[in-house]
Amino acid sequence: MAAPVYVLGGYQTDFARNWNKESKHIVAMMREAVYGGLEATAIEPSEIEVGHVGNFAAELYAMQGHLGAFLVDIDPAFSGLPTSRHEAACASGSIAILAASAEIEAGRYDLAMVVGVEQMKTVDPAKGGDFLGTAAWYDREAKGIEFPFPKLFGKLGDEYDKRFGLKDEHLAHISAVNYSNAKRNPLAQTRNWYMTEDHARSQDKFNTIIGGRIKVSDCSQVTDGSVSLFLASEKFATAYAKRRGVALDSIPRILGWGHHTASIEFTAKVAESKNNPYVLPHTRQAILDAFKRAGVAECWDINAIETHDCFTTSEYMAIDHFGLTKPGESWKAVEDGTIELGGKLPINPSGGLIGAGHPVGATGTRQVLDAFKQVTGQAGDYQVDGAKRVATLNIGGSGTTSVAFVVGA
Amino acid sequence: MINIKRVVILGANGTMGAGSAEVFAAGGCDVVLLARAKEKAREGLVGAQNMAKSERIGDLMSVGTYDDDFDEAVGKADLIFEALAEDIELKKKFFERVDKKRRPDSIVATVSSGLSITEMARPCSESFRRNFLGIHLFNPPNVIVGTEVIPQPDTDPALVTAVVDALERRFGRVVTVCDDMPAFAGNRVGFKVLNEVAQLAAKHGVAFVDYLIGPYTGRAMPPLATVDLVGWDVHKAIVDNVHANTNDEARDAFELPTFVAELIDEGHLGNKTPEHGGFYRRVKEGGKNVNLVLDPATGNYKNPADVKVKPIAFVEKMRELHRIGCYAEAFKHFVTAEGAEADLARRVILGYVSYALNRVGDGEVVRQPRDMDRIMGFGFNWAPPTVLADVIGVKETIKAIERSGLKVPKVLTQAKAGERLFREPNVNIGRFFAA
Repeated sequence: MAAPVYVLGGYQTDFARNWNKESKHIVAMMREAVYGGLEATAIEPSEIEVGHVGNFAAELYAMQGHLGAFLVDIDPAFSGLPTSRHEAACASGSIAILAASAEIEAGRYDLAMVVGVEQMKTVDPAKGGDFLGTAAWYDREAKGIEFPFPKLFGKLGDEYDKRFGLKDEHLAHISAVNYSNAKRNPLAQTRNWYMTEDHARSQDKFNTIIGGRIKVSDCSQVTDGSVSLFLASEKFATAYAKRRGVALDSIPRILGWGHHTASIEFTAKVAESKNNPYVLPHTRQAILDAFKRAGVAECWDINAIETHDCFTTSEYMAIDHFGLTKPGESWKAVEDGTIELGGKLPINPSGGLIGAGHPVGATGTRQVLDAFKQVTGQAGDYQVDGAKRVATLNIGGSGTTSVAFVVGA
Repeated sequence: MINIKRVVILGANGTMGAGSAEVFAAGGCDVVLLARAKEKAREGLVGAQNMAKSERIGDLMSVGTYDDDFDEAVGKADLIFEALAEDIELKKKFFERVDKKRRPDSIVATVSSGLSITEMARPCSESFRRNFLGIHLFNPPNVIVGTEVIPQPDTDPALVTAVVDALERRFGRVVTVCDDMPAFAGNRVGFKVLNEVAQLAAKHGVAFVDYLIGPYTGRAMPPLATVDLVGWDVHKAIVDNVHANTNDEARDAFELPTFVAELIDEGHLGNKTPEHGGFYRRVKEGGKNVNLVLDPATGNYKNPADVKVKPIAFVEKMRELHRIGCYAEAFKHFVTAEGAEADLARRVILGYVSYALNRVGDGEVVRQPRDMDRIMGFGFNWAPPTVLADVIGVKETIKAIERSGLKVPKVLTQAKAGERLFREPNVNIGRFFAA
């Protein structure tokens, strides 16, 4: 049995901000996330032993690599801090968490700081879409294609349609639920945007087709944002609990994790899963691994899910892959209200990537921070009553790198 | 208390008409847009669709005219929202009609940005006055969530509570309740700063003051560019009103500069009169957009290259620190910088903190610092006064205010040591400081 990894908390920047308009460098975003997290957790900078940054493509969006080094710049106490940066497209944040957890499990460090960060509003949408294409096999799937990713996730919908049948109205409902939840989240990018199910169902000059069956309302957002997260060993967590005057077992842990990578090319994934009940079996396996490690028998043993809804089709896929329904029957959980706040198993109470926003390299850390908020009763208006265990699913590429966590006390 | 389900907008063709229609429909209300002519009302509907980026929002809306549809629409409405031109006689005339046709339990609100709410309702029935208040939205209201709610002496206090609750929970507003004083809270404080900067432009030049009191001091846009966006006519109406009807330590700051008054007479109203311009005039030169800059002394517009401001060391240092997210360190330079320029910048910015927080308390326009913070932060998109005090440090702020010869607010002297004054949850204070 691996040593436990405790989650002490963290901080999310307001995903509605446009840091380019504020003329800010990416380090400003990291600095706000780090200091916000230190304040929220009452941790001293000098206590941090290691830093991990999750980021997808700062080299493209901000002409800046080597982001681990920027952590050192944030506080004088970080001088000499061992740091690194992790990249796995949209799963970068979760990979950074895995790296930090592994080091804690191995006993190398007792307190790790994980920072997910992405600055995306530096370029126009077409160029940004092209950059995101590097998360696919660029030469084969993205080069010269306008907005490649909506098209790839449109194909995921098409594959569901082919195997089981898929109605766009169910995708529209998924979008409406995410936007509606985001209105309760004070840090969500779309909290003041207009969205209804009628609008999501419609196709007009505002809700245009972006690629295949994917419309504007099916897409997650282009977002600037950073999220910090502090992970600790039992040794540190014990001392931390003592000084905070709380019981050690009230501090959440990463109860389980799962991590699998499929072929980068979408057609290869679909070919591989031809005879499998699940469209993305490696994603399914990442979830099952996380459940197994957490001692969770099935999805009904968890109270909420923060999943990767980069498009409505990815959430549709997550519903049956998490086991809320049989494969291909995700629409049942959409129709009967299971996934809504107040439902049997709410998905994305935060608003997810569609509602809260999707700063690519920060999304995995944002999901785990939201899981932390849920299980500690700090999620405010989007709190799932009595949440004890929350699962996350973070996906890089077109279902390529999948990382799932179960967080709970 | 009444559940707001049906809303009628009077003056639906204006920017605020369209904007308020969007806000109420987005909150799930059926909205009737009324104007002089149906096509005009339809303009408001289309405007609301554009703001919401949705044609579907129009499904909740219908259009009509004052002649044909007023009585029925007003009779059915739970909320009658007046967004007519800022002309008190015009508003009164409409309210007389509303008074005759409204249900006794309906709410009546004006979007006025500073006219007397009490005066507007004076001739109306008791039922009208009990249910009448100001709901001052800022433009564009689908983006700017800061909102003032202004009761008048006869407004039912329970109504105020219910309206504030509905605005915050259903319509996504960040509300400040303020007294019925000239320009209310936000515009009183905001236009004091804007007009002071306009006054300084006469001596120091437009480009210089917009640079010196630029975004790095805690605002999204330079002050005179803001006045151009608001419109010089609106600016004049607000500062004239405050100058004539208030008497506080900053009364002189509300005196409209002579050059502004003269240029208004010649048709310069800012961005809304592109042929004349305001502090800036956008022209095309050789296919490129050039932002010409007003010379207040002559009324002529100069090429920006000819009025280029020489960078000031402390300003550049602060911008560099903001850029990497070191806001408190930046303001250390602000407080300690030497020279006439630094003195001038401090007089304006600390003057803002001092004036805003001195408007808090009994007999002032708002009761709590939080009310002032909310409207400056979410109505003006300026660093709220207590955010500035926090980043500078409360003790340091008091000393700096004293050194600038300004009035020290009680909110600061009564603050507990080490306690942060800005209390709004879930707000990144860094968002207020652009580099």
